[in-house]
Amino acid sequence: MSDDETAATGTDPTEPDDAESAEPDPTAAPSDGEPTATSAGTAHTVDDDAILRLRDVDAGYGDLQILSDVDLDVANGEYVTVVGPNGAGKSTVMKTVFGLTTHMGGTVEFQGEQIQGLPPEQIIREGIGFVPQTDNVFPGLSVRENLEMGAYILDSVPEDQIEAIYDRFPILRERSDQKAGTLSGGQRQMVAMGRALMLDPDLLLLDEPSAGLAPDLVSDMFDRIDRINESGTAILMVEQNAKEALRRCDRGYVLVNGENRYTDAGDVLLADDDVRQDFLGG
Amino acid sequence: MGTTESSLVDTVRARPGLLLVAVLGGLLLVDLLAKLAGVSVGPIGGALSVDRFRSNLWSGLVIGLVIGLAGIGLSLTYSILSFANFSHGDLVSTGAFTGWGVAFLIAGFGDVPVRTLLSVRDAGSASPGDIGAHILTTPGAILVGLVAAFVVTAAVALALDRAFYKPMRDRDGISILIASIGAALIVRYLLQFVYGSDRRGITASVDASNLVFGPLGISIDAHELTIVVAALGLMLAMHFMLQRTKLGTAMRAMADNKDLALITGIPAERVVTATWIIGGGLAGASGYLYVLLRGTIQFDFGWLLLLLIFAAVILGGIGSVYGAIAGGLVIGVVFTTSTIWIPSDFNQAAAFAVMILMLLLRPEGLFGGVSTA
Repeated sequence: MSDDETAATGTDPTEPDDAESAEPDPTAAPSDGEPTATSAGTAHTVDDDAILRLRDVDAGYGDLQILSDVDLDVANGEYVTVVGPNGAGKSTVMKTVFGLTTHMGGTVEFQGEQIQGLPPEQIIREGIGFVPQTDNVFPGLSVRENLEMGAYILDSVPEDQIEAIYDRFPILRERSDQKAGTLSGGQRQMVAMGRALMLDPDLLLLDEPSAGLAPDLVSDMFDRIDRINESGTAILMVEQNAKEALRRCDRGYVLVNGENRYTDAGDVLLADDDVRQDFLGG
Repeated sequence: MGTTESSLVDTVRARPGLLLVAVLGGLLLVDLLAKLAGVSVGPIGGALSVDRFRSNLWSGLVIGLVIGLAGIGLSLTYSILSFANFSHGDLVSTGAFTGWGVAFLIAGFGDVPVRTLLSVRDAGSASPGDIGAHILTTPGAILVGLVAAFVVTAAVALALDRAFYKPMRDRDGISILIASIGAALIVRYLLQFVYGSDRRGITASVDASNLVFGPLGISIDAHELTIVVAALGLMLAMHFMLQRTKLGTAMRAMADNKDLALITGIPAERVVTATWIIGGGLAGASGYLYVLLRGTIQFDFGWLLLLLIFAAVILGGIGSVYGAIAGGLVIGVVFTTSTIWIPSDFNQAAAFAVMILMLLLRPEGLFGGVSTA
């Protein structure tokens, strides 16, 4: 049986509870001890408490369609990661949620409200923060000014939130008056996350947070994301570093050619032979 | 020792222009010192009174401040809206005419018909000089005129934005640049239509207009002092606005990274509006002050001045507000001190030569790479 057929039929020879996977159990928590493998086209772990829900989303840039029929859920407080090969449209998923792509069909619901087609400045108000992959700080502004800009839509600077972010990333307190452009890659990433956390969002979108970081800083970065998630913020992350991302997250999606192919608990995907062979390099 | 020498040789080898400029600059400096000392050796040296040199420097500083003030707006629109605004010079003229119209209205109300006053025009017996606008005789009128120049020009800049630039917001910089040339022509010839095309005198001459500062040994024209105080005040206000206020920080943020500003929730259009108000207003104020310095006005003077303003902004590193000020000062000082060596007809050429030389050495400009902040 070829890999393609496996994916298309949704039959996973390695998975014993194969029959059950056709009918997803809504009560099954994503990080359950015995998660069920599911494949795109058949089912998702649909949570009724999903704060973010994409259904049949088509999106792209201008006339170029990148995503087709993408379904994706993020539960309240869940840590979801999207992995997949280069050019699969991982970042496009993220930008679509944030209103930065051309919406071509389907619905994006956040906390029960449809947000597709809304401009980014309104999506921020709904409670979503976004950390882009590159150029994610204002280099000419000080660290503190970067954070203040994150709360621009508020009438006054939320000092307690700045303090909370300084407590989370103590190095930023030391560098408070330093221009963000002079910081190291890891510190910049902290500024970018801090900026996105200024409005205390319910969902944080992270686009390849480990990109461009020195290898020894990558695991620190993932630790920080874990802690943000532990404090109650749901996370939707796109990562090139698929193994580490899947190890850390509650649930993963594998995106191929603009469609999601698999979704399951991160460790299940990691253990899945097809996923390993096709996307994780064995 | 050896390493220092070899690195010096390397530098010279890598950048022969630097050597050329250093030699040229050194020669001019030696010549200047010889001239000031009254020594004459062959082509070098001659006679130059210290007083003349000092007054050259001073008037260069004054005109440099005016050019720098005008350059701030050009730099702001370049960094925040991403286009070189060729209508900026005509905003300078707009400020001068409207501001002086208001100043005349206050200074000459009752004596001269309002229409004549507002259009800054000669009418029968009353020439503008007779209205007697001068900082010492009618300080209130001059100051209100400055405020009016700022306010009206800001409004005109905003109107131009809504009419021409806003519909083109997503277009590339070159398209908007060309649109701005069109806007420049519209403004310039509207000014000619309303105010006429003749050059006329504006400020009155007042006896004892020179204020002498004993300890420094220099005598300063009252209008020059007004210009310096007003220009520095406006620059300081702008600095405070950019560095200390939320809107100013947002302006710097948007100059830094427009895409990030968008996803951070910074309201782009509000920042753009503020950019036009500040940039246009400062352009208008600088035009008004330029007329106070020169004493005459003509409908296209801002357009002619735009070349020098561009030189200052490019010299300072286009997009940098502080670079625009520094560039303005350099251009101003070169403009006036070059008359020591060359006829004053060529002093604009000297300003551009210095700009080109500076750019050869530092292509990114004095403050290049340092965005708006």
